[in-house]
Amino acid sequence: MFDRDIWQEIFHSIKNNKLRTFLTGFSVAWAIFILVMLLGSVNGMKNGFTGQFADDANNSIIIRTGSTSIAYAGFEADRRIQLRNDDVEYISKSFPKDVEYITPIMNKGASTRYKSETGSYTIRAVNPEHLFIDKTKITEGRYINDNDLYKSAKVAVIGKRIVEDLYKKDSALGSFLEVNGLPFKVVGIFEEDGRDDNAERTIFAPITTMQRIYGQTDEVNQISLTYNPNFDLTEALNFSERIENLLKRRHKVAPDDQAAVRVFNYAQFFSDISNFTSGMGMMSIIVGALILLAGVVGIGNIMVFIIKERTKEIGVRKALGAKPWQIIKLVLLESVFTTVLAGFLGMLFASLILAAIGPNIDTPAFSNPSVSISTVLTATIILVVSGVLAGLIPSIKAANVKPIVALSDK
Amino acid sequence: MIEIKDLHKSYKMGSNSLHVLKGINFTVEDGELVAIMGSSGSGKSTLLNILGMLDGADSGEYTLDGVPIKNLSETKAAEYRNKFLGFVFQSFNLINYKSALENVALPLYYQKVPRKERQEKAMQYLDRVGLKPWANHLPSELSGGQKQRVAIARAMAAEPKVLLADEPTGALDSTTSYEVMDLIQKINDDGNTILVVTHEEDIAHMCKRIVHLKDGIIVEDKKIEQVRAGQYV
Repeated sequence: MFDRDIWQEIFHSIKNNKLRTFLTGFSVAWAIFILVMLLGSVNGMKNGFTGQFADDANNSIIIRTGSTSIAYAGFEADRRIQLRNDDVEYISKSFPKDVEYITPIMNKGASTRYKSETGSYTIRAVNPEHLFIDKTKITEGRYINDNDLYKSAKVAVIGKRIVEDLYKKDSALGSFLEVNGLPFKVVGIFEEDGRDDNAERTIFAPITTMQRIYGQTDEVNQISLTYNPNFDLTEALNFSERIENLLKRRHKVAPDDQAAVRVFNYAQFFSDISNFTSGMGMMSIIVGALILLAGVVGIGNIMVFIIKERTKEIGVRKALGAKPWQIIKLVLLESVFTTVLAGFLGMLFASLILAAIGPNIDTPAFSNPSVSISTVLTATIILVVSGVLAGLIPSIKAANVKPIVALSDK
Repeated sequence: MIEIKDLHKSYKMGSNSLHVLKGINFTVEDGELVAIMGSSGSGKSTLLNILGMLDGADSGEYTLDGVPIKNLSETKAAEYRNKFLGFVFQSFNLINYKSALENVALPLYYQKVPRKERQEKAMQYLDRVGLKPWANHLPSELSGGQKQRVAIARAMAAEPKVLLADEPTGALDSTTSYEVMDLIQKINDDGNTILVVTHEEDIAHMCKRIVHLKDGIIVEDKKIEQVRAGQYV
């Protein structure tokens, strides 16, 4: 393998046939280029999808309600189901071991003013546990606490973007922000990891405060919770089903009514994404492999041609005592060498492109396309195997050259 | 050195079978210089191919230096060719992208001689055929006579038991032919066994023994007074 003479001959053969080697090498380089780009793109899609939800705990469940679509238990269809504070209590008491954090959520539009600056945002009323469910990062001040909840205090935790929008030079912390005409004291400022800018255009306020302002109600738009992080996918999906059944029973909703109680589990979503992207990855490998096959056939074709051209030389070598295996080795190494070299160039080129433009791409559905070491290793193994395949038939053909035929001067 | 008993060979040509060698009996002693003569179709090339293990016989015995040559695998045949035989061809058959030195070193490569030793030995043989200054030239930069001398150096480099030359002067003019024959005679003088296939009378008479083939059998086998090629050079 590391025989200097063999390599000299391979280099010689390649040097004498630069164009031919380039053209066949190109087909392999191109195939690997496409394969790596495809795999990088799949990676980009995966990064895009998961990145969107990086700001939420991925063991979280969201519960929303709508109107019934099926008549049930004496009620007509189209009855509106409303979540209330006691639903939150009911869930946490029903699953004391499974629920980690739970919060009611109420969303309202918020016309906001600070001095002469105004803006339109969302005010989200929550309880203190929401901090852990939403993975909110407090950069200044504090989050809503139990005391705020108890006193229905008019306090607000505002996103970084709101500070940028409304506060020019003033310090936001401790100031009073007018929300829908009422003054709220800013007690904290937060940041979000996710890519969604609007997440940082949210105002958090205590749920009790908001329920009092909006008509002494105990209504809730949504319930968010996180479950035991040690749950596996089956347990997690099983858990959301249990919650759904519980709420359907409580609100007298038909078990097969899809519209009235909706439980959205992130675990399901992440599992769907990872199924989807691994499916795409498999497809890329198959497509890439098929393109590569064309390249391999090209190299095999050229090797057959080279053998034909060198029949006489191979005959001379055999007359001088070359064993069949030595002839096979010569042809096989040349084909593996050409394939691997071309493949590496294609891989290098694709990796460079991905490395150069990948980090600049950052959209919700597509972000930082890149290749991993394992992809590169897989591609390398595929290359060596294809090189051997490409050279196998031609080399056996070469080894079977009969010196007597090759040397006849006719 | 070479012992052949009742050697038969026929080639299938469609439904017909062409009987080329019809019972050859033939012995070559150590140090002989034998010319095998015959018109085309007489079977002389077939005989040489069988002697060179490039082709197998249908029946009969062939013993080379005491080793029976029969039913050889490709690998074994390659090994024997490398160990026992040196070939010189009419059309030289040098590898055109290798220098004279590399061509001569090639059989040594297949003997797994280390690179450095190989180069030295090849240079020594090139020197013996008087082509040391041309060591790094490609075959295309050499004349026909020089090419054949490189081919002879290559055949000798492996230090074979027998040198088989198939029309070694067939592609050369008479002056260079004599130069090549002079070289062959000198190699024979050193004690090497050589078989030359030729159809030229003058070349045959520069050997020590002439074997005449006709229609697949030996019709004449006689020792002759050798004509030295040196006097014409």
